[in-house]
Amino acid sequence: MAVVPGMTELTAPYWEAAREKRLVVQECQSCRQLWHPPLPRCPHCHAAGPGWRQVRGEGTIYTYTVVRHPTHYAFADKVPYVLAIVELAEGPRLVTAITGAAADEVRGGQPVRVVFRDVADGVTLPYFEPASDQGDNRDQGGNHGTS
Amino acid sequence: MIRREVAIVGIGQTAYGKALPGTAWDLALEAILGALADAGLEPRDVDGICRFAPPFEPVSEPQLVRALGIPELRFFAESPLGGEALGAVLAHAAAAVTAGLAGTVVVYRALSQSRGGRFGRADGRGPGGPAGSAGAAADADVVVPEEDNRSFAWPYGLMSPGQLFALWARRYAIVHGLSDEDLTRALGTIAITQRAYANNNQNAMMRDRKMDVDDYRGARMISEPLRLFDLCLENDGACAYVVTSAGRARRLRDDPVYVLSATQTLSPYREPMGIYVTGELLELFPPATAMRLFTEAGVGRGDIDVAEFYDATSYMPLRSLESYGFVPDGQAWRYVTEAGTGPGSPLPVNTHGGHLSEAYLHGMNGVLEAVRQLRGTASNQVPGAAVALVGAPAGSAMILAR
Repeated sequence: MAVVPGMTELTAPYWEAAREKRLVVQECQSCRQLWHPPLPRCPHCHAAGPGWRQVRGEGTIYTYTVVRHPTHYAFADKVPYVLAIVELAEGPRLVTAITGAAADEVRGGQPVRVVFRDVADGVTLPYFEPASDQGDNRDQGGNHGTS
Repeated sequence: MIRREVAIVGIGQTAYGKALPGTAWDLALEAILGALADAGLEPRDVDGICRFAPPFEPVSEPQLVRALGIPELRFFAESPLGGEALGAVLAHAAAAVTAGLAGTVVVYRALSQSRGGRFGRADGRGPGGPAGSAGAAADADVVVPEEDNRSFAWPYGLMSPGQLFALWARRYAIVHGLSDEDLTRALGTIAITQRAYANNNQNAMMRDRKMDVDDYRGARMISEPLRLFDLCLENDGACAYVVTSAGRARRLRDDPVYVLSATQTLSPYREPMGIYVTGELLELFPPATAMRLFTEAGVGRGDIDVAEFYDATSYMPLRSLESYGFVPDGQAWRYVTEAGTGPGSPLPVNTHGGHLSEAYLHGMNGVLEAVRQLRGTASNQVPGAAVALVGAPAGSAMILAR
């Protein structure tokens, strides 16, 4: 059993790209600003018809929490899991979960990169895992490890 | 400007409990009748109602008009976004009275979590239905309909308020360089202080439950860094208050509580339970809104004698001390362990025990506590309290005065 995103006309391109193992965010075709989650128009210059841009899938952990107590039965056998807000190198932030790291090794400011996981038939979610070059790349001043 | 133009002239509430016998409708009626009796008014005097919008508030205006025999409502308004409605419902009531759209406005909040979805659970009030129900059959995937970006959060298991507030609390630690121990000591001090207030409050669900630092630290971790006692209670109950013009309030009683200011605010991705993808997460509360709250009230921080801060989790009063300008940014964690927020502290906070230890009423029980403080009738009375602030962390707030 998985919890899967319902899709709308606006959000489907994001999930369809994820199924192809591509991470995309919306991009204004006029002023070239990027943002996420999707909006009908550019929130900066209000141009209609935003496009999608593939991003590198690299970023840092903006904040996180280790969930020890599930609040939905679908996650009863998945605790502990690490929720995070990741700030992409290109700027936008997204909600995700951290994989490939012990819960007590996750740190604020930690470099991470996207990894795609098939969670249900035809549904792929972008997760993030520690980037292999972490330790050489801690460029987020003031982000102290806190676990 | 609503400053001293309107007043809270009556308050009412039910008992608070895990599972009360009445429906939310019953509870709302009990609280409203209590508030009207406290004001010396009758249901037929009511011509306005302001409330939290559905799905939060389950009791509707037609239900109240029918059951109370109110002849005619001529003003009614609903405020969305849960806790963000706390200041808004009073702002709307005050605006209606000062504009002459209504003369006597009832504000209420009724909760029956024992009969409906618990706010702390994601199943039972969202996709998938309650665990074990037909809707949750077998191994069927749970599809999250896209609404306010939930479809980008729920699939990862970010589903409940405690998890969101854990992300805020962790961000606070990251930005200000706190160790886990620093944060635990600060949050624990708040939880323990509020519990001690509740132990002296006959209305509090936790009246008879003492809590010390070992109890706090020994409780299970829910969503790090938040432990069980960092999270609010889940319960049934109702609160109500009555707003009228200042002149009428003075004719009704000797100790009306005047509204100095009331705010609501909304900025991109700053709605409660939003996913906060732009700006600094710690600036959930726009500083300009705090400025507006005090400027419109005509008072400064030093004039506030007592504060009732919205506390779905212990992190929220911590950050609210900074957001409302009582303590510089990044220093509240130290402040709460040094100056503290208990009796005799520079600014007593959540003197009823708050959502953590009195009961959870979406902030409305904090409003009632502020009124009691300003009347001089609170269980944990702050001596001479003349001005009180009630505020949610996202900038929905009020300043009240005697």
